[in-house]
Amino acid sequence: MQQEGPILESLTRRLAETPEEFLAEPRIGQTGRVHVAAVVADLLRLLNAPPASAPGQFIGNDVRRDRNRLAIALLLCWLLSDDWFRQTKLDAAKVLELLDAQCNELATQVAARKFVTDPDRREELARLALARLGFRPAGETLAQAQDRLTTLNSTERARVMKAARAAEERARQIREALARKAAEESADKFTRE
Amino acid sequence: MKTETITDADRYPTLTEDGRRMLEFMREHPHAPTFRNQSGNRLNVDDLSRVREFEREAQSAEVGWRPSELPSWLAKFVEQSFAEVPFYRRYGSPPAEFQDLPTICRADLSRDIAQFVPDSTPIDRLINFRTSGTTGHSLLLASHPAVAASYLAFHKRALRRFGIELRHGRGQVGVVLVGFQRKCFTYISVTPAMDESGLAKINLHPADWRDPDDRAKYLDALAAEVYTGDPIAFAELLKLPLATKPRAMLSTSMTLLPAMQQQLQERFGCPVLDLYSMNEAGPVAVADVTAGGHVLLQHRLYVQTLDASGQQVPIGERGEVTLTGGFNFCLPLLRYRTGDYASLRFNGTEPVLVGLEGRPPIRFRNTRGEWLNNIEVTHALQRFAIPQFTLHQDRDGGLLLRLSGAGHEPNHIRNALLELFGSGQRLILEQVDSFDGKVVQYTSDLAGSQP
Repeated sequence: MQQEGPILESLTRRLAETPEEFLAEPRIGQTGRVHVAAVVADLLRLLNAPPASAPGQFIGNDVRRDRNRLAIALLLCWLLSDDWFRQTKLDAAKVLELLDAQCNELATQVAARKFVTDPDRREELARLALARLGFRPAGETLAQAQDRLTTLNSTERARVMKAARAAEERARQIREALARKAAEESADKFTRE
Repeated sequence: MKTETITDADRYPTLTEDGRRMLEFMREHPHAPTFRNQSGNRLNVDDLSRVREFEREAQSAEVGWRPSELPSWLAKFVEQSFAEVPFYRRYGSPPAEFQDLPTICRADLSRDIAQFVPDSTPIDRLINFRTSGTTGHSLLLASHPAVAASYLAFHKRALRRFGIELRHGRGQVGVVLVGFQRKCFTYISVTPAMDESGLAKINLHPADWRDPDDRAKYLDALAAEVYTGDPIAFAELLKLPLATKPRAMLSTSMTLLPAMQQQLQERFGCPVLDLYSMNEAGPVAVADVTAGGHVLLQHRLYVQTLDASGQQVPIGERGEVTLTGGFNFCLPLLRYRTGDYASLRFNGTEPVLVGLEGRPPIRFRNTRGEWLNNIEVTHALQRFAIPQFTLHQDRDGGLLLRLSGAGHEPNHIRNALLELFGSGQRLILEQVDSFDGKVVQYTSDLAGSQP
């Protein structure tokens, strides 16, 4: 985050205006349309940072496991194809690291569309992308940029963890409720299956 | 530890004096069987209004869609499921195209059903449906008394197609669910939505009766309007000297072979409906030869036929029956692969499942020469965590149990089967790494194994 980057709003606006092609379903097996690995390769060429090998980690195998991760990667490809990034000499390894590790982490916490529709999540994604590539928003000090990213990140992580705890507690209660004698006695049906 | 006490007030919250008399009549009849269990409608006043409202909706709603279109309710249902159901929420955002939705299967439900209960569903009145099934994954499903009671709306719809309007009410027995198994969940109840008509679930196996002759006497005394059961139980019913006849019979659980259907219709002089029904989704369809297959019954259930990769097969080609929607608000289904196969055709906007292959009934013979329903084998094995298994009986009566999964106690499994079949039963247990997808679980070379 040592270097000053673009104006933050230019990036959040770009995310809000993500075109349909970058919101389309990632191709995984026989489903979806967009081959994310090909889009990543195009992005790297656009950034003059061609990959040493095909980015195989962006070819999904399991729709349920991979679709959100690849959908977020697709959004980042759109974000990083902004003119500012194109005119900046970026490190291919760092770009790949951002697209890979960061998407993996975010995919367990947030549904991809929220990075388009929710202002806080747009800001979080834009700031994360800048930070992982070594930049901070224009007009902000290092301390300001770090503080804001931490706030967004930790607030969201706290929300996600709280929701996960609540979900686990509810699942436990459901399992208990179903094991009760009253649930076991069931209720009348006219047929059995 | 506090013992949970369940009273009749819990089982029949709206019970009247007439309902109580009906319960007494069925329970205390001199020819009554041993009722081994207890159940009840569990419907309170609010549930009952909900059930009635749902029945009105189901009665007037059209079932179907145009071949190239999706039902109008579907998009909202998908969106709501993604927002409220933990399992689907993990997919991320809803896809723009319905066919890009991942599919789920029985193993997903089997792993942890709690993940499929929507956040907004109150859990204090959950009930469960347990199913052993034929695909090897035992299931524990979340449901609600109002869901169980709403089966009736679809049964009525199916019966109406064959010119039958149910008319039982106060002081009469509406339905008898018949089973024929060595062990069977049996009980009596009343149906508030039919003015507290009686409902009995009985087992025709002689072990449940003081005198096997009581079976016909009891059934004649009840004179139920409808019998429901599987073909194995109905085959036993055919042997009884019944003086009364139902107005309709509903066959579920297993494939009803046409010859058997014909025999039942001739014997009882009433329509015998072949219902395609499952615990996961309730009554899905009813066979109608004039339509060329099974016609759908639910107005908020979208049915597809998919290939192995999850793509819709062309109209007329066989694929796996896959369900979205349903009326069990505790278990919203998104592209649930049933493990059953059919081709989908349309009569106008009415979808028809053609050549539906579900679960063929198989009987096994024990060392005493008695026939056992395949469900009894599943029950005997359900306490073992076997992911998938098959059982074959050869022409000499020998059994081959093939099972997948690790960490089994072969001796315990063997003992469970020997208890069912007799200690002298020849039995081979064979461990396999896995099966290739869905298996035909029960097979037999014995003549007479298909009732």
